[in-house]
Amino acid sequence: MKKKVLSVLMCAALAATMLAGCGGSSSSSEGSTGAAGGDTSGKTYAIVTKSAGNPYNEKEAEGFQEVIEAAGGTCIVQNPESATADAQITVIQSLISQGVDSIAIAANDANALASVCQEAMDAGIQVLTLDSDVNSATRKTFCNQAGVQEVGQALIDAVYDIAGGEGQYAILSATSQATNQNAWIEAMKSIQESDEKYSKLELVEVAYGDDEPQKSTDQTQALLQNYPDLKVICAPTTVGISAAAKVLQDQKSSVKLTGLGLPSEMAEYIGADDAHSCPYMFLWNPIDLGKLAGYASIALVDGTITGAAGDTFEAGDMENSPYTLTELADGSGASEIILGPPFQFNPDNIEEWKSIY
Amino acid sequence: MAGKSGRTISATPQGGIKEKIFSWEGALILLLIAVNIFGAVLSPNYNMTNILRESPRYLAEIFMLFGMAFILVLGDIDISVGSIVCLTATMGCLVSNKGMGVGAVILVCLGVGLLCGMLNGFVATKFTELPTMIITLGTQIIFRGIAEVALGDGGSASMTDIQSIGILRAKVGPVPLSFFIVIICAIIFITVLNKTTFGRKLYAIGSNRTTAYYTGIEVQRIRFFSFSMLGFLAGLCGLFLLASTYGANTTTGNGFEMEVIAMCVFGGIATTGGKGNIIGGFIAAFIIVCLRIAFGQINMNTQLILVIIGVMLIVSVLIPAVTNAINSRKKTKKA
Amino acid sequence: MKKDKSLIKTITGSREASLVIVLIILIAVITVMSPSFLSPTNISQIFRNNALTMLMALGMLCVMLTAGIDISITSTLAFSGMIIGLMQKFDYLHNTFLLFVIGILIGTACGVLNGLIIAKGKVAPIICTMGAMYIWRGMAYVISNNAWASGADVAGFSDFGKEGSFGPYIILIIAYIAFFVVMKWTKFGRKIYAVGSNTEAARISGINVDKTIISVYAIMGLLAGLAGVLSVSIYASAQPNMQYAKEMDVIAACVIGGVSMNGGRGSVVGTFLGALIIAIIAKALPLVGISAIAQNLVKGVIILVVVVLNVITQRMMDKQALARREM
Repeated sequence: MKKKVLSVLMCAALAATMLAGCGGSSSSSEGSTGAAGGDTSGKTYAIVTKSAGNPYNEKEAEGFQEVIEAAGGTCIVQNPESATADAQITVIQSLISQGVDSIAIAANDANALASVCQEAMDAGIQVLTLDSDVNSATRKTFCNQAGVQEVGQALIDAVYDIAGGEGQYAILSATSQATNQNAWIEAMKSIQESDEKYSKLELVEVAYGDDEPQKSTDQTQALLQNYPDLKVICAPTTVGISAAAKVLQDQKSSVKLTGLGLPSEMAEYIGADDAHSCPYMFLWNPIDLGKLAGYASIALVDGTITGAAGDTFEAGDMENSPYTLTELADGSGASEIILGPPFQFNPDNIEEWKSIY
Repeated sequence: MAGKSGRTISATPQGGIKEKIFSWEGALILLLIAVNIFGAVLSPNYNMTNILRESPRYLAEIFMLFGMAFILVLGDIDISVGSIVCLTATMGCLVSNKGMGVGAVILVCLGVGLLCGMLNGFVATKFTELPTMIITLGTQIIFRGIAEVALGDGGSASMTDIQSIGILRAKVGPVPLSFFIVIICAIIFITVLNKTTFGRKLYAIGSNRTTAYYTGIEVQRIRFFSFSMLGFLAGLCGLFLLASTYGANTTTGNGFEMEVIAMCVFGGIATTGGKGNIIGGFIAAFIIVCLRIAFGQINMNTQLILVIIGVMLIVSVLIPAVTNAINSRKKTKKA
Repeated sequence: MKKDKSLIKTITGSREASLVIVLIILIAVITVMSPSFLSPTNISQIFRNNALTMLMALGMLCVMLTAGIDISITSTLAFSGMIIGLMQKFDYLHNTFLLFVIGILIGTACGVLNGLIIAKGKVAPIICTMGAMYIWRGMAYVISNNAWASGADVAGFSDFGKEGSFGPYIILIIAYIAFFVVMKWTKFGRKIYAVGSNTEAARISGINVDKTIISVYAIMGLLAGLAGVLSVSIYASAQPNMQYAKEMDVIAACVIGGVSMNGGRGSVVGTFLGALIIAIIAKALPLVGISAIAQNLVKGVIILVVVVLNVITQRMMDKQALARREM
């Protein structure tokens, strides 16, 4: 008897949802017809960062938000609960339900997000990526912080320069599946192989610190211990580089560090003398990257660009505006927008930048 | 009727457990309705179409709820399921990329899941001194470790043949296939737990393992079976996740174990064993899913959602304890 | 009664002996593969990098002795560490001592809350602390507001945990000595064992069970809070995801060290050995040249094998003890 009561109640609950659903769907369709006339006002632009609790992601979102709000659009910033593709899928699904006009995603995994991005595109949403790309068939364009080759070139040149042209170096990366880091490391390796200039450099190991301070510390210490002749560590990840910088500086090690890091995190360790572990490092401006994604979102939504290579769009007061979409090197015909070359942070400019990001 | 259900076997100090459980499930249903109304008021997009569209990931998780309920009723715990999901999805993906058909993928996913579950069950029944928490903690690291090795550099794989696996994404109208599987599982598992001797044995073992052993219940065989079952269901979850994301990576299924356990506990299944009912867990799962979807649609801070779920979890287990205390105080006053 | 006690004592004694053997084998294997493993710098790094796990293992020992468990510790750690980091970032406070006090107080408060819910609310420890795990981790994210406290922010404070500073070692040594004394020779220590071995008996014999349980979780929270501050100091950074999921390492350390999850059995020495094994595994995996991708797999296998080996030796010892008794 009681079971029956339960099941009746359960059905009632479902029915209530259905009813709520009917009401909900009709009101949302009204909303979209009302907004069709406007340009950016009434449009909603979303950004999905890699995860919550990371200042780099925060700065990206900040730049994005600034551009969208200045243009009169509504901006949604979503930081997934953890840095996994799974958490991003949940968030993107929810944005599809809300019927936003565009979604800019900094992908945690290139493959796993493909199907949800496709679903968003099928729902008429403009999907673009920034920072890390997804499968290029499932998005309109990709706002690339710097060309993969350029980053690889800058890093290998830095290693070459700091090591004095020869010797052993090691790489301390993020996780083994971090798309960007893997691409940059591959680029470094291929540049090193193709150019005689780097033949005296030897890459001894690629270690993975999983973007955890403790594991990065363990890995750095292991590198120092396993390779006594090591000259340079290259850490192309913000958590890894600051953990490694601390280890090297605390130990007053002769091994030097370079890579990609946030100036605010690294100010303590950058310096030309022996008391500092990192002579110089690189990064781009995450705020600008967010801004670029913001302008690209607006351009995609109002039809200025379609995501085809060759399209151009204005990006307000940004340095290299107008930007042109270029074709990806992999021959897929998909496009990307390159922000600019990576920026070098050295003892001369670190003071100026450390308070900005 | 309640006598048959087997719940009365559970070790409870006072009578009236029947009423308590009934009212708990009743309260859960009221809460589910409230959550839905709340969602509909908060978000204009909270409707059946969107809920069903967003649900497949959560539904895959609910598969494991049924197996976990068995394990918890037994007084055991399994925190390796998230890793089993990761391993099965990985293996399924790799097999598919080797050019095998969807049949092989399904077989591999379910088979790998079953094997993982059997390994847990084997260690748990051969080394009964070990708490299952520590066993599954070890296998949790191992299963994900195997997936990491199999995925190799890059730690992520995508399916090249997404056509054939598409049948698992099939929908009847707006309702995804996995929804029907959840319903079928619910019917089977609720019936088994409430209407069969097997179900009653589970409660008996959970209430007092030694007594159960001496009354002739094949304790270890049932535990082995339950762990294998949960592994199988985790494989099913991995299969459907694979079908919905067309790929697997090293973080697939991260944290699922805690989410599934939370659903069970919220539904009134005690981790100490011998208590609770799958119906409660089933309704609780939908409450959490609906709540997450509703909060997601109003773009609430994702971490704040976790805080709210944490508070709900603690409050939900505190309520029975507090009401119990009040009731017994009333009783002693009357006496 | 007395006989039982001495029997338990001998068993735990021999359990530690078997652990020492496992430890020696482990170290021997590693040293063969990487000869520099036993260098003084390396040994000091083992303790420094795993100070947090070793510290929290002590609290987990107490919790597990009362047949409880606390999976919220790393969330508490993140919450207290994040507050400490932010206080320095926004220049509220830079006094190292006061920062430690505040961190410890925050941790203790979290612990007392757990204890109250578990003891007074009769909630299963794993459930209560699972809720707390979500809550405090989430709160760490919420208060951080997507900011980190980094090297420059915690500049003076991080000297305490800097490589070469004795700070972390001193805290570890004091903590282990204090716990060893308390657990072995004080009334409070014996109360914890009593509550864990047989709660009803403890209650009847006049022990305030609720109070003991609350204080045990308070101690756990205290150590987690302390670990949070220490973590900020050692790694010179505070991030909301710090030590994520590391509570399992702490639990594994205790179980390897022979602490029973059913309560009443376990020792400070065993915990130390267990934590040391976990620390050595973490340190050695990158050293002996196991490829990065396989490191997790190897770690999992080692943990499971050590735990199972422990059970097998335990069984053999029990059998021998039984045989001796029959003679």
